[in-house]
Amino acid sequence: MRNSPSIFNNIDWFSILLYLILVFAGWLNIYAAVYNEEFKSIFDASQQYGKQLIWIGTSVGLVIILLFIDERFFNTFAYVIYGIIISLLVLVIVIGAETKGATSWFEVGGFKIQPSEFAKFATSLAVAKYLSTMNVKMSDLKTKAIALTIIFLPSLLILAQNDTGSALVYGAFILVLYREGLSGNILLIGVSAAFLFVMALIMRNEIFHFPFKIEIDGTLLLIISLGLFSTALWYFNRKSKQIIYISIAILVGGAGLIKSVDYIFNNVLEPHQSKRINVMLGLESDPKGAGYNVNQSLIAIGSGGIAGKGFLEGTQTKYNFVPEQSTDFIFCTIGEEWGFLGALVIIILFVTLLLRIMYLTTRQRSDFARIYGYGVACILFFHFAINIGMTIGLAPVIGIPLPFFSYGGSSLWGFTILLFIFLKLDSDRMKVL
Amino acid sequence: MTSEKDIQKDIKWRAYLVYFAICLFGLVIIGKALTIQIVEGAELKKKVESLTLVDKSIEAVRGNIYASDGSLLATSIPIYEIRMDLNTEALTDEIFNAGIDSLSYQLSHLFKDRSPSSWKQELVRARAKGARYHLIKRNVRYTELKQMKTFAIMRRGRYKGGFLTIQKNKRELPFQVLAARTIGYEKDGVTPVGLEGAYSKELSGINGQRLMQKIAGGVWMPVGDENETEPLDGYDVYSTIDINIQDVAESALLKQLVKQQADHGCVVLMEVQTGNIKAIANLKRNANGNYYEGYNYAIGESTEPGSTFKLPALIAAIEDGYVDLDDIVDCGNGKLNLYDRTMYDSNYDEGGWGKISVKRVFEVSSNIGMAKIIRGAYSKNPQKFVDHLKSMSLAEPLGISIAGEGSPNIKNTDNNSWSGITLEWMAHGYEVLQTPLQILTYYNAVANNGKMVRPKFADKITKGRSIVREIETQVINPAICSKSTIDKVKQALEGVIENGTARNLGNANYKIAGKTGTAQIANESYGYKYESKVSHQASFVGYFPAEDPKYSCIVVVNAPSRNVYYGNLVAGPIFKEVADKVYANSLEIHKPLGPQKFLAASAIPYSKSGYGEDVKRVFQTMGVEMKTAAANPEWVTTSTQEKSVTLESRKVIENLVPNVKGMGVMDAVYLLENAGLKVRFVGRGAVKSQSIQAGTRAHKGSVIVLELT
Repeated sequence: MRNSPSIFNNIDWFSILLYLILVFAGWLNIYAAVYNEEFKSIFDASQQYGKQLIWIGTSVGLVIILLFIDERFFNTFAYVIYGIIISLLVLVIVIGAETKGATSWFEVGGFKIQPSEFAKFATSLAVAKYLSTMNVKMSDLKTKAIALTIIFLPSLLILAQNDTGSALVYGAFILVLYREGLSGNILLIGVSAAFLFVMALIMRNEIFHFPFKIEIDGTLLLIISLGLFSTALWYFNRKSKQIIYISIAILVGGAGLIKSVDYIFNNVLEPHQSKRINVMLGLESDPKGAGYNVNQSLIAIGSGGIAGKGFLEGTQTKYNFVPEQSTDFIFCTIGEEWGFLGALVIIILFVTLLLRIMYLTTRQRSDFARIYGYGVACILFFHFAINIGMTIGLAPVIGIPLPFFSYGGSSLWGFTILLFIFLKLDSDRMKVL
Repeated sequence: MTSEKDIQKDIKWRAYLVYFAICLFGLVIIGKALTIQIVEGAELKKKVESLTLVDKSIEAVRGNIYASDGSLLATSIPIYEIRMDLNTEALTDEIFNAGIDSLSYQLSHLFKDRSPSSWKQELVRARAKGARYHLIKRNVRYTELKQMKTFAIMRRGRYKGGFLTIQKNKRELPFQVLAARTIGYEKDGVTPVGLEGAYSKELSGINGQRLMQKIAGGVWMPVGDENETEPLDGYDVYSTIDINIQDVAESALLKQLVKQQADHGCVVLMEVQTGNIKAIANLKRNANGNYYEGYNYAIGESTEPGSTFKLPALIAAIEDGYVDLDDIVDCGNGKLNLYDRTMYDSNYDEGGWGKISVKRVFEVSSNIGMAKIIRGAYSKNPQKFVDHLKSMSLAEPLGISIAGEGSPNIKNTDNNSWSGITLEWMAHGYEVLQTPLQILTYYNAVANNGKMVRPKFADKITKGRSIVREIETQVINPAICSKSTIDKVKQALEGVIENGTARNLGNANYKIAGKTGTAQIANESYGYKYESKVSHQASFVGYFPAEDPKYSCIVVVNAPSRNVYYGNLVAGPIFKEVADKVYANSLEIHKPLGPQKFLAASAIPYSKSGYGEDVKRVFQTMGVEMKTAAANPEWVTTSTQEKSVTLESRKVIENLVPNVKGMGVMDAVYLLENAGLKVRFVGRGAVKSQSIQAGTRAHKGSVIVLELT
């Protein structure tokens, strides 16, 4: 405690500024998205925009509380917090209220709370705590197993609540593990597997014609290509002793994956999920069904042009053409009313915030704070990329909110806590010896 | 230490990789947004307009159809479909649960078709299922809608209670089955029927158009003013139907059809001079034995008319100078062999008619007699007979305004089916086709001294209180034959009632003239057989009063399944009932009671009805005793008693045509012009009759013709 300057001197005001801009812009856009002639006031608490203001107000309260909590609290109680959240996730499956097919809400006196939104920071804390523990090395198999368990336990519980989108978010933690020393090969295998899966999806119903009237269906062609690839891999590295095993493993694993695409697609994924993926890959056109959201969203954003239609002038979002316009598809409102320039500003704000967080992590002295910071960045990045990606047709529609923007108390609180724990840790970085 | 450094390096490198990924993704998103918003922007903008801006048509209110006295025959009423958005955001569980019981009770109480618990069950289930457009009830009337707006939950309105209404216009016939087929209907994809179809253009009006934009909550709002065209509501049509006579005709027909267990039948009453159809009833038996208006037989069904067709045949023969009423025809023993077929008279079992006059042949409706008359006249030149029939407009459709008229058929001699006995068979109404309305129109022409007018179903087309168009009577054939022939056949027609086949229709009050018809039905749909018996079509067509015909009427009853099938017994009573009712109701038919009688018989001077003050002053001055019921009536009817004069108040009601009978011209014109009518009069003295009946609605600019004594 040599220097105990006020928290206000050490906190990263730049991040807070970005946060405030995003939250305020979000509030305005929610107002525009669900604007109702009957309730013109943006402060009307019977409407989503009025409610969002309440959430914003309470978030500010949360921020103040967080900033006055001793930073050691988070480190010390990381597992406890994680444990509490995990039990809430279990509890919600049992007694939760069902909304839009997902059982992920507690209903308390007219308010609904979604524990999965809070599981993100809890998991980040737990992962940071575990990986910053002495003698934990990423190269150990045991470490990997425990880290993955910490990450995927909440993910599985959320999956059990039938909220696939939120469950997928936890995949972002792989990046954290990578940063902390997870072999790049694993990441490579993951990316390759995803690539193969998509290729198999696209090609499985195609038939290719070759000279001499040879017809090969897409799946077989993919396996043949894979065989050629592994043979080549072995041939060029044949001095290495292990390469033969690796080549065989690639061939067998890849072929198995390709062959299982049909099964996964038809049996593991829900019909609406496979349909969304098909629509996104352009294999299926269904503008009134699974493609409806994206189609309407594209129309809304596209009709905005460069400068947009102006505040409250958007017809597509305001008139209920775009579903979930105040939550998952809030980006449409930005695109329609503020145009490309507005969208550009928002994207730059987000990228700047993400880069700022990345920068802040590099100056952390404590492993705990650094790893936690990485978790924050990865989660925000995933939400930002996938949410905006799905509104513009780059990613499948998996229904996750845009941080700080989307309507909803749980989500705003969750992201606020996530971010401000890190800002608090950062502001106290000098205390760490 | 090197490995430690490597790791540090490696970690830095990994951090840069993540930086790069974030920036890359940001750029990709920006790029994609740029293509959507700028490259594809124009096309997407068009899509927006097609989604949010729509030219919506505003339905014009369809005009009403009135009876001749102004009773409403068909009108459009708004009707609502009620739906509920059971998952509207403002409808929380708390509000829903608090209101559902009373709402269920109120719905059950209003519609009385289901129990409150069944309503509740349905609504709760629909809400749980996420229903946002749940159907509550179709065809809800405005009064019911008003009540529903006060119900629990629903009274919270569209957004807070999810109460949705969809308005539609429904055509309603206040008299329901009465003349329903003639009033008709117009539906999408179906050929329009009746007056609704005939005057569809006038009734439907012109739909307006308005540019509408979709706004919050899926509501369409009008945009701006310049693109609007106001809807032009349809005109009203006054039909010629007299609702009272229609009622009588329909119930008389029904009574007789039930009694005879007939398959179907029709009655048409027509005004001789104008061709106005005052009543037209069609009834058909359904599988359950009930009768309903299902098809306009009077207009649409062409059949072999049978004996009623003897009139045109007789007129042709007389007009061409082959026979006269007093010529004698040998009808033999009631049986006549013609090649392979045998013709019978109805009294064959009694030995036939023997030698009788042409008039008698017509009166007793001898088939053999008519066959012999026509054979005698035209056997050398059958085409002349055919041509004569055609010259009397019997081979052409009437060209009435209502769609679906059956085609008549008068065969030419060069027709393949023309045979050696066709002429004889045509003479008594076989091998020709006529609809009931066509036969009636022909008889009406005879009643109208040879002038054939087109049957008319509508009188005028109005907009509000002013007349848009009067529908004039159209002449089909100015003279079907000479006046002398008309006078001859009129005698014969009267003879049918006086001492012929329709003696049962005679009465003391007024004379009927007409002709019975009993035809075996040659309708292909049931052949000559109906319920394994020979089937018949019994008809009676005629006019009344015989001396000065005002109305003509036809009654056709098809396939009576009892053994009674003669026209006079089956169709005659219906004719009589309708005619009696019309006679009793129409004062103008009654012989006017001559005022001269009073002049001669009484010491009290004859007086015209008129303005109360004036009449009183005159009698006061003359010292005549007056009896008045009311104290100071404005308008009075005078009636001369033996030693006094009775003054009765005569009511003049605004907007209704006043009764001016018995008044002087000055008073009559004053009253009528005040009512907005244009007056024309013939003759001099007091008003004997007025062309627009008293008590009907006065239309500005209508012409009323007064006949003076």
